[in-house]
Amino acid sequence: MTINSFSRMGTANSFTHSVANINERQVSLSTLQQSLTSGLKNANPADDPIGAAQAERAITRLARIQSDQKALGLQKDAITAAESTLGSAVSALQSFRQLVVSAGNATLSPADRQTVAQQLTSLRDQVFSLSNTTDANGNPLFGALGSALAPFVQQSASPGTYTFNGVAGQTSSTAVSIPAALDGDKAFMFKPSQDASFNVSYSANVGLSSTGAVTLQAPPTTAPTPNSSYQIQFQTNPLSGAMQYQVTQTTPPAAPVASAAVNFTSGTPITFDGLSLTVTGTALAGDTLNIQANTSIFGAMDKAITDIGSASSSLVASQAVGQALSSIDIGINRLQAARGLAGDLMNRSDSIGAAQTAGATQAEADRSSAQDVNMVQAISDFQNQQTGFSAALQSYAQIQKLSLFNYIG
Amino acid sequence: MSVGLLNIGTSALLANQTALQTTGNNIANVNTPGYSRQSVVLQEVQGQYTGSGYIGKGVAVTTVLRDYSAFLDAQSNLAAAQQAADSTLSAQLTQLENVFPGGSNGLGASVSNLLNSFSAVASAPTDLTARTVALANANQMTSQFRNSSASLDQLQTGVQTQLQQSVLAINSLATQIAAANNQIARTVGSGQPPNDLLDHRDQLISQLNQYVQTTSIPNADGTVAVFLAGSQALVQGTSANPLALTPSAYPGDFSSNTLTIQTGALSAPMDQTNLGGGSLKGLMSFLNKDLVQGRNLLGRMALAIGSVMNTQHKLGLDMNGNAGGNLFQIPNLPNGISASTNAGTETIGMSVIDPTQFAVSDYQMTYTSGTAGSITRLSDGKVSAFDFAAPPVQVDGLSLSASAVAVAGDRFLLKPFSTAAGQIDTAITAPKDLAVASPVQASVSSSNVGGLAVTSLQAVTGGGNLTHPVTLTFNASAATFDAVDNSPVPPALPITLATGVAYTPGQPISYNGWTLTLTGLPKGLTDSITVQAANSLYAKTNSGNATALVNLRDKVLFDGAPLTDGYAAAISQVGVLAQSAGFAASTSQTIATNAQTAKAAVSGVNLDEEAAKLLQFQQAYQASAKVLQIGQTIFNSLLQSVGA
Repeated sequence: MTINSFSRMGTANSFTHSVANINERQVSLSTLQQSLTSGLKNANPADDPIGAAQAERAITRLARIQSDQKALGLQKDAITAAESTLGSAVSALQSFRQLVVSAGNATLSPADRQTVAQQLTSLRDQVFSLSNTTDANGNPLFGALGSALAPFVQQSASPGTYTFNGVAGQTSSTAVSIPAALDGDKAFMFKPSQDASFNVSYSANVGLSSTGAVTLQAPPTTAPTPNSSYQIQFQTNPLSGAMQYQVTQTTPPAAPVASAAVNFTSGTPITFDGLSLTVTGTALAGDTLNIQANTSIFGAMDKAITDIGSASSSLVASQAVGQALSSIDIGINRLQAARGLAGDLMNRSDSIGAAQTAGATQAEADRSSAQDVNMVQAISDFQNQQTGFSAALQSYAQIQKLSLFNYIG
Repeated sequence: MSVGLLNIGTSALLANQTALQTTGNNIANVNTPGYSRQSVVLQEVQGQYTGSGYIGKGVAVTTVLRDYSAFLDAQSNLAAAQQAADSTLSAQLTQLENVFPGGSNGLGASVSNLLNSFSAVASAPTDLTARTVALANANQMTSQFRNSSASLDQLQTGVQTQLQQSVLAINSLATQIAAANNQIARTVGSGQPPNDLLDHRDQLISQLNQYVQTTSIPNADGTVAVFLAGSQALVQGTSANPLALTPSAYPGDFSSNTLTIQTGALSAPMDQTNLGGGSLKGLMSFLNKDLVQGRNLLGRMALAIGSVMNTQHKLGLDMNGNAGGNLFQIPNLPNGISASTNAGTETIGMSVIDPTQFAVSDYQMTYTSGTAGSITRLSDGKVSAFDFAAPPVQVDGLSLSASAVAVAGDRFLLKPFSTAAGQIDTAITAPKDLAVASPVQASVSSSNVGGLAVTSLQAVTGGGNLTHPVTLTFNASAATFDAVDNSPVPPALPITLATGVAYTPGQPISYNGWTLTLTGLPKGLTDSITVQAANSLYAKTNSGNATALVNLRDKVLFDGAPLTDGYAAAISQVGVLAQSAGFAASTSQTIATNAQTAKAAVSGVNLDEEAAKLLQFQQAYQASAKVLQIGQTIFNSLLQSVGA
C-alpha cells in the first residue's frame, strides 16, 4: 500500500500485501468486466443508491405509461368503433329518409305504402341494433356515464317506447385517457326541450285542414320549455262566431296553456311553450290535433312506420311523411354531432399517445443514464485496469525472484 | 595465555553458533503467524585486570531478544478490530441489499404491475381475463412480500447463529489467554523472557480482536489483563470471565440483543455502544439496527399498500353489485411486547388509522403513571406523551389501545410492521369478486344546457353518507354552486352541505366521501348534477373503482412519496446503508493494513536481512575457529620449545 518510513519490511507481510493488492485488482477488473457484459453501470444499489432509486422510478414510470397506452389503445378502438357505428346509423337513417320521401308519392296505393313500411321496419331494426353495439370487450359503445349491458331497451309493455338504461352524460378526457363510451342518451334519445321532435296527428279532422311539423320557435324566446304532449281543440266562439283554438298541455297535470282561446287564421303559426305549428285550410269546431313528443329516434321511426303503413289516403300519408322527415332530420343531426365528438376524441387520443411516447422516451433516457454503462468509458477503464493488473503481476514475479540467497554459495 | 585465547575462541564460537541458530529460527518462522523475529544480544565478558590493563575474556550471549513494539501491536489490534466490525457489517448489509432487488423482477415492479393491471380491468370490467390477471398480480405481489420477509428471517437466523458462535469463540480465546498468562507467570522467575509464549499470547489477543475490540494492560507478574467495552475485564491474570448473550428485556424480540459479562457471582450487562469494534459489534449493530430498519421498510410497505388498497376495494361493488370485501388479508397488528420487568398485566393493542403517516420505526412506551407516559420513536428518538385516560392515543397513523391499567415504570416495545410483510395474502380467489364498480354515480340533469361533463367520480373514503343523493346546483353566475344532501334517512329534510362554492373546471369537488371532477362550463340557474348511489343494474359495465385503484399509484403514502415510488425510496435507503458501510470497511481496511505493515516492519522477518546475518555470523564463527586454531598453534610452539 503506502510506502512508509520504516527502513525494513517483513518478507511474509510484503508478500501478503502484494497478493492482496493483486487480488484487489483482479476483483475490480472482474467488476468492470461484469458491467461490460451486463451493460449495467452498477451491480448493486450500494454502488449508487440515488441512481438505483432513479432507475427504479423510471422503470415504474415506463410500466405505467405502457399500461396507460394500452388502455388508451382500447379506448381509441372503442371510440373508432363508435364512430363507424354512428356512420352506419346515419346512412341507415338516410335510406330511411329516402324511403319516407318516396312514400309521399300521391300515386301510391295503401298496399304500396305498406310495402314501404316493411322496408322501413328493417331499417329501424338496423338502427336499433347499432345503438346497442358493444366493443371487443363487451362494453356498450353508447353507455354514457354507465349503463346496462344493452343500454337501449324497447318497452314490451308499450310498443314504440324506448328507454335509455343508463346514466346520461359524457365522460371527458383526462391527460392520459379518453372516454371509452359515448353519450348514447344524447345521440339516440330526444328531449322535447332541445329537439322538439313532435308528432302531430288529428283525432278529428272534419274541416280537412292540414298541418306542418312542429318546430322550435326561433330564439330568443321567453316562453317556458316545452312539455311532451299537447292537444289543440278548435271551437267556435259563441259570441263572435269566429273559429278559435285552445292549446292544452296534456302531460299531467293537464291545463290550458293560455286561458283564453285564440282566433284561428289559416297559415299563421300557432305558438305555445316555445313551439310553433302551422295549420292550413279550414278548421271546423271539434277538430282536434294531438301533439306528442318523440322520446327517441327509434320512437320517431316507429311512428313514421305506423303512420305511413296505416295511411288510408295520400293526404294522411303526406301528413305522416312531413312529420317523419322533420324527426329524422333532427335524429341525423344528433348522430352527426355525436360523430363529430368521436372524431374529436380520436384526434385527442392521437395527441395523448404522442405525449405518452415522448414521456416514455424521457423515462427510458432517465433509466439509461442512471443504469446503463457508458461503453466507451468502461472499455477505456477496462484497458487501463488490465494494463495495471499485468504490470502488478510482472513486478510481483520479478520481486519474488530477488533474494540475497540467490547470491550466497 | 593460550588458554585465555582458547577460552575466548570457544566463547566466540558458542556465541556465534547461538546467533546462527537464532537466525536459522527466524528463517524457519518467516511465515509463522504471530512470530516476532528474534535477535541475540551479545555482551563482552568482563575483562581480567592485569598490570597492563583489562584484558578481554571473550563474548557471552546475554539473552535472545524478541523484536516487538507493544504500541504498534496495540495499534494493529485496534485497527484490525475496527476493520472486522466494518467489514462484517458491510457483508451483512450486502445481504440485506439483496433482499431489496430493483428492476423488473423486484418487489417494486410487482406493486406497479398490480396497480397497472387494474387499468386493463377498468377498460374491460366485464372481461374475466383482465380480472384474473389482476388477481394473479395481487398474488405475485403478496408472495414477493412473503419471500422477502422470509429472506430477512433467514438473514436474522444466520446472524444470530454467528453471534452465538462469536461469543463462544471469544470465551474460548479468553480461556486460552488466561492459560498462556499462567504459563508465562511461571517462567518469569527464570529471568529470561519466554519469547514463544509471549508471541503465542499476542497472537491469541490479536485473534480475539477479530471478534471484539480489547485493550491489554500488562501486570508485573508477566500476565496481561484484557478488557473490553472500556472497563469490563475479560481476562484477569490467570482467570477468564465468560461473556454471555442475554435474552432480550422484551421476550421474543430479536432487535435488542445485549451482552453480559460474568465476574465471579456478579453478572454485569454491557452497553453495546461501548463495544469498540470486532465482528461482534458489526453483527450486533446489524441485528439491532439495520435489520430492524430493513424489516420495518418492508413491513410498512406491505401494511400501507395493503391497507389503502383494501380501503379502496371495499368501497367498490363486485360483478354482482355487492359491496366489495378485503382485497388483501393482512394480519392484525401485533400487541406491544411487554418488558419482562413489567409489574402490571397491561396489554397494548394497535390498529391502523392512517397509512399515509406511517414512519419506518419501532416504538417504546414507558409508563410514568397507571395510564400515562411517553412514547419514543426509536428511529429518531422523537418523544411524545400519551394518556389512555384521554383517548384517542395515536402515534404516526397508529391507534393504541390499553387493556387495563399499567404500573408506573412498565415498558412496552411496539413493532407495528413486524408481521405484515410475512403474512400478507390475497383475500379474494374469484375474479368476479373484484369490486371494480363504483358505488356512486353522477348524473347530469336532463335539463342541463351548459357544457358540463364528468371527468371522474370516485369514492375515496366512504362512510355512512357516501351514497346519499347530493345535488350540485349552479347559481346565476355559474361560477358558484350550492351542494344539498337529499338524504333519504332522517332527518328527511335536505341538508345544505355548502352554498356559493366556487367552481373551477378540473378541480376535485368532495362531499360525503366521494370526489367528483367536472369539466366544461355550466349554465347558471338551470344546470345541476346529482351524485347518488350507483344503479346496481349498471355494475357489470362500471369500472369506476378500478380507476380509483389505478389512481392509488399517485397516492402520497411513503413520507411524501407516491405509492409506486415507495419501493425506490426503500432501495435507496438500504443502498445508502450498504454504501456507507462499504466505504467505512474500505477505509478501515486501509488503516488496518497500514498498522499491520508497521507492526511487521518491526517484528516481521526479512529474509534478505537474515541472509546477510547468516553470512555475518558464519564469518564470525569461522574467525572464532581460527582463533582456536591460532591458540592451539602457539601452544604447540611453546611445547616444542620446551620439549627440544
